[in-house]
Amino acid sequence: MGESGTKGEIKNIIVEALNLEGMTADSIGDDDLLFDEGLGLDSVDALELVVSLEKAYGVKIESDDATRESFKSVETLAALVDQLRDSSLT
Amino acid sequence: MNSEQSVVITGIGVVSAAGCGTEPFAEVLATSDVLRTPIDRSAGYHLANSSRTAVLSGGADLSDWISPMKARRMSQPSKQAVAAANMAISQARFDPEDLDRAAIIVSTSYGAAEVTEKILRQAMLDGPETVSPALFTESVANAPAAQVAMALKAKGPNLTIVQRQAGPLIALAHGVLAVSSGKSSIAMVGAVDEVNPLMHSILDRFRALAKPDDDGVETARPFDQRRSGFLAGDGATVVALEAETAARERGVRPLARVRMTGRAFDPTAPRTSWSRDPGSLSESMAKSFLSHDINPAGIDRLVTGGCGTKPGDRIEGLVLRSLFGGSSLPPVLAPKGVTGESGGGFLAAVVLATIGASFGPTPGFENEDPELGIVPHDGRSLPDPTEVLATGFAAGGAASWAILEPA
Amino acid sequence: MTHDSRVVITGIGSVSACGWTANDLHSGLLSGSSAVVEPAHFDTSGQRTKVAGEVPPAPESIIRKIPEWATLSRSDRFAVAAAIEAVEQAGLSEGLPAAAVIFGGSTGGMFECEEYVGRLLCTRASHPAIRLLASQQINSPGDAVARHLKLTGPVQTVSSACASGTLALGVALDELRSGQSDVVLAGGSDSLCLLTYSGFNSLRSVDSRPSRPFRADRQGLSVGEGAGVLVLENLDHALDRGAVPLAELLGAGASCDATHMTAPHPEGEGAATAIRNAIADAGISVDRVDFVNAHGTGTPQNDVSESRALHSVFGERAAVLPVTSNKATIGHLLGSAGAVEAVSTVLSLIHSVIHPMPDGGDVDAELDLDIVLGSPRSVPSAGVAISSSFAFGGANAAVVIGGWEEGSAE
Repeated sequence: MGESGTKGEIKNIIVEALNLEGMTADSIGDDDLLFDEGLGLDSVDALELVVSLEKAYGVKIESDDATRESFKSVETLAALVDQLRDSSLT
Repeated sequence: MNSEQSVVITGIGVVSAAGCGTEPFAEVLATSDVLRTPIDRSAGYHLANSSRTAVLSGGADLSDWISPMKARRMSQPSKQAVAAANMAISQARFDPEDLDRAAIIVSTSYGAAEVTEKILRQAMLDGPETVSPALFTESVANAPAAQVAMALKAKGPNLTIVQRQAGPLIALAHGVLAVSSGKSSIAMVGAVDEVNPLMHSILDRFRALAKPDDDGVETARPFDQRRSGFLAGDGATVVALEAETAARERGVRPLARVRMTGRAFDPTAPRTSWSRDPGSLSESMAKSFLSHDINPAGIDRLVTGGCGTKPGDRIEGLVLRSLFGGSSLPPVLAPKGVTGESGGGFLAAVVLATIGASFGPTPGFENEDPELGIVPHDGRSLPDPTEVLATGFAAGGAASWAILEPA
Repeated sequence: MTHDSRVVITGIGSVSACGWTANDLHSGLLSGSSAVVEPAHFDTSGQRTKVAGEVPPAPESIIRKIPEWATLSRSDRFAVAAAIEAVEQAGLSEGLPAAAVIFGGSTGGMFECEEYVGRLLCTRASHPAIRLLASQQINSPGDAVARHLKLTGPVQTVSSACASGTLALGVALDELRSGQSDVVLAGGSDSLCLLTYSGFNSLRSVDSRPSRPFRADRQGLSVGEGAGVLVLENLDHALDRGAVPLAELLGAGASCDATHMTAPHPEGEGAATAIRNAIADAGISVDRVDFVNAHGTGTPQNDVSESRALHSVFGERAAVLPVTSNKATIGHLLGSAGAVEAVSTVLSLIHSVIHPMPDGGDVDAELDLDIVLGSPRSVPSAGVAISSSFAFGGANAAVVIGGWEEGSAE
């Protein structure tokens, strides 16, 4: 399915791009909080994710898009990516 | 200028080609086991007939001293510096609270070579907008010092020295000053470097690296007549410094005392090499000994930066000869023949030499250079030293030295 | 803390987007225009932003003074030119040899090194000229200065990203007070390069316009290049040879946040500590400070944490203490910023004027600071200023510089 495919991909990107050694994509829940008290990612990780997602999906993530809300979890990230992909097609 | 406060080393941590820890490193020095391994030449940076080996620490398992999650975004120099710092602290038995105002001083020649290369590759091959922000934050020369500060929660002065082969002893001088001036009760002094394929290929293009001999082995031959260059090496060493009185009060036995440090510059040195004329540095060293009221005759061990380069070993040899006047030199150790040039090996060897660790025969030494007449250590058993002179003469002209004694 | 030995500044030199001398810096800072523009030589294609504080081509008169010009990297050239200017002003051309050089930098000859790497990677050249790498090391500019002036004293470069220049001044101060040297050339030099320009952009820290520190609509820093050199001497040494000090380096302080590699402590604690340490080291009361030459990069985060630091140190006075940032005019000179900004601070004290930031946008009222915008302000005679720099890895440094007038020696 398209949507869970994106979520799975994003989880892999998170583990790879952020060097989360000892973690697997499966261990990240769709709704798990990624930053601060959640997975413990920080502002540099956020920027790193932006670069990796842009590369992977050929989209441009502007600072307006890269909000705390959209980067909260894999679920919200997937929604952002889908939205950007759709808008780039129109 | 001279403080009453005697400064001692109470802990040391080493990451080297021998792995994580001072013991495996000491073992390698004692047996003159040159742990050269092939450098990866697949990126195509190297010339076809380039040197092919280096003494590399990248495979050292750091997990006892830094967790993978903490290390995940760190460059190799940062990770190794943190691991080495944790080792030194453990040996010194510091209370974590005491580290709050510790001074951190790290020396590096090349910084994070791999990270820098990756960023340039990203920017040049895929475009500037693909540059990884996490890599950039690790590309600054002070990343290791900053990571050590974060690991130790040390909010005191934080300094990174970049001065090639003279760097480690300059960093040591700063550490001593931080403690002796009373500004910090603890100083963590480190030396760290990383040799990656691009860096290795560049050293090779400068014809700085040891050439293979008849059986194809690249051997650095400190002070030897046939010397042809150095072996590149990397890794990290961190030593913990504190006031001697404080150490004794804590019931910790110091390893060594730093008696004196000195620095100078030789403006006749070309940018990437050493001067032909030892006059300037000889004069500077002589003045330094005089102003500290120290007689070279009291030195009974030399730990030289001698690493097998023609001009570098030459000037170091001539300056040391001049310092000792007509007399023969005390035993000459040239640890870079084993550890390779750059990284923490030299600093660690200086401390180990001071505590009387044994050193094996100087690798590759067969015939003395008639101009120098220096015969480095042949591996025989030596009495424990009482005064050790360490010297680091940098390509480009900077120079530093230090006298250590067992504590 | 009291010291038997006072340290004075007897010469200054600078290279920046405003030009190749300290006077150029002074007039450029007073001009009301930003020198951050589309660079003529530095290539910004593919970059998110297109402006920088680029140094203009060198005048013949400067090149003539440097016979080794052709062999030097860009950052080496800035350093040597600034050092020559400073030493000439100090009247120290003779009898210089034992001087020390304490430099701060973050790029060294990276610009030229990128040329080498680019040829290897992009044109697949098998033998790019290795002379492009001869000055790559971060310590190259400091060494080039020592080599040009034939100095034999201690030479070292410190590299703590954006705090390097100010840290170098602190190290130089220790050097002089401890009696290890009587004269120190303290400074720094950095040049624009792909690594730092792309790197800061990757962090989204760069404003696409020339940066607007302390403004409500600030969006980041501008990258710049250049060098600053100050001749520092023990007061007795200066007076003995009949030199008239320009200013006095009263104190220096440093600290480390130890919290995050790029984000400053949100309350500016480490920065406040560094400033407090500098003031204590100068042996003066907090109330003596007349103005602040801030780190002021113009990033949303720095300006907030810096303002909190200033409020923490100066209390209620912070709201009326003039604060300016040279970065609005010349850009952020990274490792050499602290050195060039110290030169600018000395210029302020000599000319009794606080350089304003170029007009543009409203001051961020939430910071509650007295920002010098548009028009210069006057400085009382024998004024006292803070110059501060805060860096990646949480390195913080500050210096206290005081004006000099007749009778200051007593």
